[in-house]
Amino acid sequence: MLDFLQSVCDGVLFGATYALIGIGFTLVFGVMHKLNMSYAAASIGGAYAGLLVLQVVAGAAPWMVFLCAFFAGGLIGYLVYLTCFHFIPLQSPLATLMSTVGMLLLIDEIVVHVTDGVPQSYPAMFDDVMLRAGEFTVRGDLLLVFGVAVLCMIALMALLYRTRLGLATRAVSQQSVAAQLCGIRVGQVNAMTFVVTGLLGGIAGALIGASVGTLSPLLTTPLTVKGLIVTVIGGLGSIPGAIIAGLLVGGFENVFQQFRGVTERDLYVMLLLFAFLVFRPDGLFAPRSGHN
Amino acid sequence: MKKLALAVALAFAASGAFAQEKTIKITGFGAKTGPVRTFGINSHAAMNAAADQINRSGGVKLADGSKAKIAVEFLDDGCNAEQGISVIRRIAGTDAVVAVGPTCSNVAESLFGILQKKVDDKGDSGLQFPVFTDVAIKVGLAKISEWAFRNVPNEETMYSSVFYWLHSKHPELKTVYGGVEEDFAHSRATWHVTMKGRAQANNFQVLGESKWLLADTSFATQVREMKKANADIVAISAHPFSLCGALKEMQRQGVKPKLLVGLTSSSSLETLQGCAKQAEGIIIPTSFAPVTKEGKAASEATAKYKGNADLHSMAAWENMFILKQVIEAEKISGNKKDVQADRRKIRDGLAKLKTTQGLMGVTKRTDDREADKPYLFVQAKGGQWVVLHNPL
Repeated sequence: MLDFLQSVCDGVLFGATYALIGIGFTLVFGVMHKLNMSYAAASIGGAYAGLLVLQVVAGAAPWMVFLCAFFAGGLIGYLVYLTCFHFIPLQSPLATLMSTVGMLLLIDEIVVHVTDGVPQSYPAMFDDVMLRAGEFTVRGDLLLVFGVAVLCMIALMALLYRTRLGLATRAVSQQSVAAQLCGIRVGQVNAMTFVVTGLLGGIAGALIGASVGTLSPLLTTPLTVKGLIVTVIGGLGSIPGAIIAGLLVGGFENVFQQFRGVTERDLYVMLLLFAFLVFRPDGLFAPRSGHN
Repeated sequence: MKKLALAVALAFAASGAFAQEKTIKITGFGAKTGPVRTFGINSHAAMNAAADQINRSGGVKLADGSKAKIAVEFLDDGCNAEQGISVIRRIAGTDAVVAVGPTCSNVAESLFGILQKKVDDKGDSGLQFPVFTDVAIKVGLAKISEWAFRNVPNEETMYSSVFYWLHSKHPELKTVYGGVEEDFAHSRATWHVTMKGRAQANNFQVLGESKWLLADTSFATQVREMKKANADIVAISAHPFSLCGALKEMQRQGVKPKLLVGLTSSSSLETLQGCAKQAEGIIIPTSFAPVTKEGKAASEATAKYKGNADLHSMAAWENMFILKQVIEAEKISGNKKDVQADRRKIRDGLAKLKTTQGLMGVTKRTDDREADKPYLFVQAKGGQWVVLHNPL
C-alpha cells in the first residue's frame, strides 16, 4: 500500500510538468484552433538555452538558469509563431500542423548538433531535500517543481481572466472575426499567445531538466506524446483540463509502472487515452458529445 | 632546349600526379544525427585521422605495385535500421571497397540480414559487400552473414572477467542487483544475456533487476526497488542519459551500494559530463584507454579531427589499419571495373585473419568473424576515467 501511495505521489508531482506542457498545447489550440507540435521541443530548447548562463557566469545559481530558460522559451515561442504560423495560410488545416512537425525536428536537430547529443547535467534546487514520514518520502525538488507549476498556472489564469491581453485572447479564441471587428489585433494576440506559452514551456523544460537532473534531446518525443495525451484527456482548449489531466497522467503512469512494469506502462497510458477518445472524446472539461 | 626539358619535367610531374590520384574508398557509416550522434562524429574523426596517417606514410600498396591514397567518406544512418539498410545499399552502389560501421546494434542486426548469408551461395541474392563494424556491440551479430565482420570487444569475456575479479578482490561482496535500460538492443542484451549470467557464474547472487526506458524521466520506482534489495553491487546496463538519471535518483534516495558496475558504452565522456559526481567509483570494462604509446598517439590524432577517443572510435581507427593490411595482402587492384572482385578479396582477407594488431595489444579473430580484444577495467575518479586493473 505504501509503495502504491509513494508511486502516486511521485507521479502526481512529476505530472505537474506534463500539465505545463499540456497547457502550452491547449492554449494555442484554444486561441488559434491549431496544434503546435513543436511545443515540447521548444520547451526543451528553452531549457538548453538556460544552460548558456553557466557558460557566461561561472557558478551561476540554478534560479538564473531557470530565468534564462523562461525568457529563451518566450523567444523560441515567438520564432515558432513567425515561422510556422504567421507566414503560413491558416485556412489549410495541414499546413501549420506539418510546419510545426518540421519545427519539432529542426529544434531537436539543432540541439543535437550543438550538444552532439551528449546529455547535459542540469542544475536543480532542493535536490538534496527529502521530506520523510517513516518510509514515505517526498522529494524536495519535485515539490518545488509542483509549486512552480502551480504558480505558473495561477499566473496564467490571472493573465487570461484579469488583464486586457487575457480578455483579447479569450475573445479571439471564442470568435476571432468578431474580435477583429471590435478592434482587437488578432495577429498580435496570436503572437502574444505563443510568447506566453513559450515562457511557460521554457520553465517547464527547465523544471523537467532539474527533476531528471540531466537534459537530453531524447526527451522531446516522449514529452510531445505526453503533452498531446494530456491535451486530449483534459479537453482541447481547456486549461483546467490540462492541469488535472497532467497530474492524472503522471499519477497513472507510475501506478501502471508499479503494477505492470515499465515495458507495459505506456501501453496502459495509451489505453487510457483510447478510453477517453471513445467514451469522452471532448475530454474531462468539455461538454459531452456523441460518437459514432 | 630548356623549354623542352621543362615540358618533359611537367609531363612527368603530371603523370606522377595522376598516379597519386588513384584512391581506395572506404566508407564509414553510423549515427551523425539524433541523440547518439556523438558516436558517429567520433568514428568519423578516428577514420579520418587514421587515413591521414596511412596516406602520409605513402598510402596503400596495390596489386600492380603502385600506391593509392585512402579516401574516407562517412554517411549518416541516424541509428535507424531502415536508414541503415538504405545507406549500405547506397555505399554498395559506389566504388567503395568496404564499409566501416554502423553505430547501433539494431541497425547492424537489420543490415547484416540483407547481406548474402553464405559466400558463393548462388541461391542467395543478398548484398555481397564487406562490412567491418566498429561500434555496434550486441553479442554475436557477425554470424548473421559471412560478409559481416566486427572489431568490437567481447562483452561475455569482459564481464566474466569483471565479476571474477570482483569475487576474488572483494570476497565479502555476495549480492548483485541489476538496472537495465530495457528498450535499447545493446543494454538489454548485455544485462539479460551477459552481466546477469556472468555474475551468477562467479558465485554472486542476483537479487533482481529494475527496468527503465532510454528516454525515461523518472527513476523513483525503480530505485526504490533497488533500495529494498539492498545488494552489495549494483550493475547498471544503460547508456549515459538514463544511467545518469538513475544514478541521480540513487543519490536522492540514499542508495549507496558497495560497488557500481556499468555498461561498456558508458565509459565515455558523456557520462562524466552528465553526472561525474554520481558516477564516482563506477567500474566499467573497456577495450580502450590511452595507456599505450600507440593509444595516446591515436587519441591525439583523433582529437585533431574533433573526435573523442573511446572503445568505439578507436575500433574504427584499428579497422582502418587492419583494412590497409588486408588490401596489401590480398593484392587489391584499385580499378573501378574490378570493384566487386576487390570487395570479395577484402572479405576473404578479413576472414583469413587470426590476429590483428590493436591499440591495446593483439586482438584474436574468431571463426565467427568477431574479435577477442584486450581489455582493462576503468573507474570514474574525480571526473576522469582512470585505469583500475589490467586483467591480461
